[in-house]
Amino acid sequence: MGVNKPGILGSGTPTFLTTRLDFVVNWARRNSLWPMPFGTACCAIEMMASAASNFDLARFGMERMSFSPRQADVLICAGRVPYKLAPVLRRIWDQMMQPKWCISMGACASSGGVFDVYSMVQGIDTIVPVDVYIPGCPPRPEGLIYGLMMVQEKIRGESLANHAELRAEDPLAAGRPRAGDEEVRDLTGPFGNSTHQNRVSGLVETDAIGRAEDRLP
Amino acid sequence: MTPDSSSGGPFSGFDLVAAGPEGPREDAGAGSRERSVAPGNPTVTALRARFPDAFVRNEICAGDEDVVYVDPERVGAILGWLREDPDQHYDHLADVTAVDHGGGRPLEVVYQLWSIPHRSALRVKCELPLDALEVESVTGIWAGADWLEREVYDLFGITFRGHPDPRRILMPENYAEGHPLRKDFPLRGRFSRAEQTRRALTQNPEDHYAPGEIAERAPQVVDPADPGAGEGEGVG
Repeated sequence: MGVNKPGILGSGTPTFLTTRLDFVVNWARRNSLWPMPFGTACCAIEMMASAASNFDLARFGMERMSFSPRQADVLICAGRVPYKLAPVLRRIWDQMMQPKWCISMGACASSGGVFDVYSMVQGIDTIVPVDVYIPGCPPRPEGLIYGLMMVQEKIRGESLANHAELRAEDPLAAGRPRAGDEEVRDLTGPFGNSTHQNRVSGLVETDAIGRAEDRLP
Repeated sequence: MTPDSSSGGPFSGFDLVAAGPEGPREDAGAGSRERSVAPGNPTVTALRARFPDAFVRNEICAGDEDVVYVDPERVGAILGWLREDPDQHYDHLADVTAVDHGGGRPLEVVYQLWSIPHRSALRVKCELPLDALEVESVTGIWAGADWLEREVYDLFGITFRGHPDPRRILMPENYAEGHPLRKDFPLRGRFSRAEQTRRALTQNPEDHYAPGEIAERAPQVVDPADPGAGEGEGVG
């Protein structure tokens, strides 16, 4: 790629550079990630703090929170998602343009967290594909920034040659669960964080249960 | 204590909670079943004099909160009188909710009232047996009861006769697993997670939040004389 008119490198000299297309495309993509904030709970407070001046997401090229999914690159799901909200989340994801990435911020979005109940999606990865999971309840802004930088690292390793394969999505899958029945069952299995629920459900005892016994008065 | 013994003593309290009380608790019944607790609120005495046959009992809760149990068949008349009578004038309906004690005991519908001019609170309860979960709607007395009664219907399955819009309000419109706050409802719901996810994604969000929703639904008032003509959903 050559540019012969006065440019950023100074006037009067032919300014061009040689590079790999993958590098320059990925460089542009990863440094102008526009997040689509899908904040439903306390994680969204931390997400707002990340965008505010103290932590300043703009340093990483993400100063524009895109409230339109059509102009967004990375979906940040911050907070718990009940089943009633599931079709909304799925539709926003379907409306986002390729290439797109997804961050599951916090315990509830990643696994349902403590809300292992009838009304709550047990991890948004049953609904949309997730690139980065950020643990925490809620994660600190540094955690979200680290997660976004991991997305940037992921973009750095992508290639236009196999990009279509990496992010392939069946158009017919729009509005459908991402995972099959078996995978949903595995993903939504309860963790060892709820002693009483595990006992009532008849699941095998975990070490967490054995230790919880000691905590009882 | 070894982990092997975890099914023993320390968890017996949890197991009791899971199983629910076997039946009406005798110890609790001894005190609360008395018909004459000296009320702190003069409304209780007046209500008892005005509706002697509908007055079931009254009790004092948490020190100074007056609770009146009334006949569910007379709820409309009693609450209408409490709203309109100048000596009572409970013009603010703070909450409508319900309590399921489990173990086959009746469900309680709770009306929390507040009188702005008299600055007094009153809690009216009526007990509905599990095979007749139906009570008169009070939307004609306090318009604010609309969503509160929808919530009670949604989560407990109690039908409100004459409600103008008897739909679910919190759970999805196509929810088919029952009423989640009932004691016999399993914590994780009745369907598998895969089925729940599939059903959730078949919802169309626009169905419930269309801008013209209010205007469109206004004519669909259920005729109190013929509640069957309404679009009430089946229980369960």
